[in-house]
Amino acid sequence: MTERQRNLRLYVPVYAISLVIYLAACFVEPTFFTWNNNVNLFTRVTPLVLVGIAQTYVILTGGIDLSIGATVGLATVIAASLPFVDTPSNVLLWLLIPPSIGLAVGLLNGLVITRGGFPPLIVTLATGAVWKGVSLFILAEPGGSVSSGVATFVTGTLFGFLPVPLVVLLLSVLVFHLILKRTAFGRSIYAIGGNERVAYESGIPCDRVKVWVYGLSGLIGGLVGMFLSARMSSGDPLVGEPYILNSIAVTVIAGTSLAGGRGGIIGIIGGAYIFDLLNNILNLLAISTFYQYVAKGLVLIIALAITSGGAELRPGRLLRKGRRKELQEENG
Amino acid sequence: MDSVTLTAPVRRLKGFLSRNAVVLLLFLIVLAMSGFGAMVSKGFLSLDHVGAILRTASFLGIVAIGQTLIILTGGIDLSVGPIITMGNVFVCMFMNGVDANNPWSFAAILLLGLAFGAANGLGVTYLRISPLVMTLAVGSLVTGITLIFSHGAPKGLASPLLREIGVGNLLGSVPIIVVIWAACSAAVILLLATTTFGRNLYYVGANLRAASLSGVRIPLVTVTAYALSGAAAVLAGTLMAGYTRTAFLGIGREYTMWSIAAVVIGGTSLTGGKGGYAGSIAGTIVLVLMQSILTVMNMPEAGRRIAEGLIILVMITVYFRKPRRR
Repeated sequence: MTERQRNLRLYVPVYAISLVIYLAACFVEPTFFTWNNNVNLFTRVTPLVLVGIAQTYVILTGGIDLSIGATVGLATVIAASLPFVDTPSNVLLWLLIPPSIGLAVGLLNGLVITRGGFPPLIVTLATGAVWKGVSLFILAEPGGSVSSGVATFVTGTLFGFLPVPLVVLLLSVLVFHLILKRTAFGRSIYAIGGNERVAYESGIPCDRVKVWVYGLSGLIGGLVGMFLSARMSSGDPLVGEPYILNSIAVTVIAGTSLAGGRGGIIGIIGGAYIFDLLNNILNLLAISTFYQYVAKGLVLIIALAITSGGAELRPGRLLRKGRRKELQEENG
Repeated sequence: MDSVTLTAPVRRLKGFLSRNAVVLLLFLIVLAMSGFGAMVSKGFLSLDHVGAILRTASFLGIVAIGQTLIILTGGIDLSVGPIITMGNVFVCMFMNGVDANNPWSFAAILLLGLAFGAANGLGVTYLRISPLVMTLAVGSLVTGITLIFSHGAPKGLASPLLREIGVGNLLGSVPIIVVIWAACSAAVILLLATTTFGRNLYYVGANLRAASLSGVRIPLVTVTAYALSGAAAVLAGTLMAGYTRTAFLGIGREYTMWSIAAVVIGGTSLTGGKGGYAGSIAGTIVLVLMQSILTVMNMPEAGRRIAEGLIILVMITVYFRKPRRR
């Protein structure tokens, strides 16, 4: 399979499924197709896409970041605790501090994981608990406030018609896609996830790359926290919780293998739309949240069954006759 | 030191120590923590309190059985929390506080646990979905089903028999639940050490390809492991119902992550194929002791989270060693 074919096999199903769900939504509720509703969708989908990008980078190296939810929460709490009178310096503080803290949190994860050689899952689980505690310490309950200028900017439009969230969404996917595919850093990420030993032997500074990947994940977590704090005009220590597992689900739906080394971020917008639209339709149909859990589980399973690309961790792959033959040939 | 010069018993002892270093170290940590707990609070090491701690540990320990089996195969189970809650809620509904309902209630709840666990395994093997997201999806499904059938407000009561199992003691001060946990632990350790199924679990986790080529029936082994995890989770949920008498929709929430933490702290490798249940027992006790100490110290929520995170971090630094590149 060429790279191009593989990409098509990864991305076409994701976008096909999200399109089907989107059309179904328009069918169920005609007002769904209005510009206003779509702007709402961008606003809701953007944080999910961003955390999905962060998670994809980490998962591509063969790691996982369970602390991203706590990082998002910490960033909103800090953003909402900053002075909120609209002066240029305050806006600058708001723009700088939450992302920097996110970056610091992420780098720390990366350092602990690489210096210690600990499993990322348990390290980020632990650091996530720590930062959640710190957020709860700063702000025990949702509250605080964010300067109104900032809030209106983030939820507003550029040049009068381009919604800011949409710009953020498209720009970030483009930039992070190019970093992944066109830079040495991006190549190293794939190499490390594919086979860290080989990557190391070929001279890739594995530890340094991994530290920066976790740093990037934290930075994006900080940016998402900043964005959410502006949208809610407040901070909430627990606002990031759903993003922990949703970011992983979106990453996997978008075709990235949890074993690392395979996948990309082009499919993430589709994945995020599948997630969000599903809730949206079920809400429009006034279906109880009880059934929404069931629907979410079933759709996730169906979407994954369709998009699953084939990773080492999937024993069933070995069952198929063709594959078994391949193996026998490989092993002589 | 040159190992050739060592006498046979010393060498054997050394081998035993290095093979079981993690478990031994953990039990030392348990001793140290108990000592610390006793310093913080006077009654910490009283028979009653130790019994209470072990009882709490039993719930997590039973859940960790399933998690250990699955992590040994290289998978992970994020559906244990929802399945615990399902077991907890449904068993109360089935029993409705009457002993006559016991036999079919136990059978039905066990079947449900096995079925949802097996669903996880089937998705992982036949739909080729990675365990983390498959179990996440099934978890969502199970949460929905629990909510639908309980209408969001669980009713019913544990039967008197289950209640007795939940709160009763044997020989005066050994909680029945702890005895059940001990029995299950012995069964699992034997299962892993002596049966073909146990050995196959390790093979599947260590090298799927090699296992498949040497004739291990991977789907059977994997599905069985996930089904057993589902059964362990409903068992824990049922015992919790016995302990608290009524059902509670949030009861399983923390157990997903705690069970993974217990297994990993116990030295079972997340990549599969290495470890065992003895470590998970120690990991479970360490985690429960830690929580108990934090409770005794009246730590507020924020401080608790910070302390929990830091302690897990310190714990893994104690015995994880960075694998050498060469």
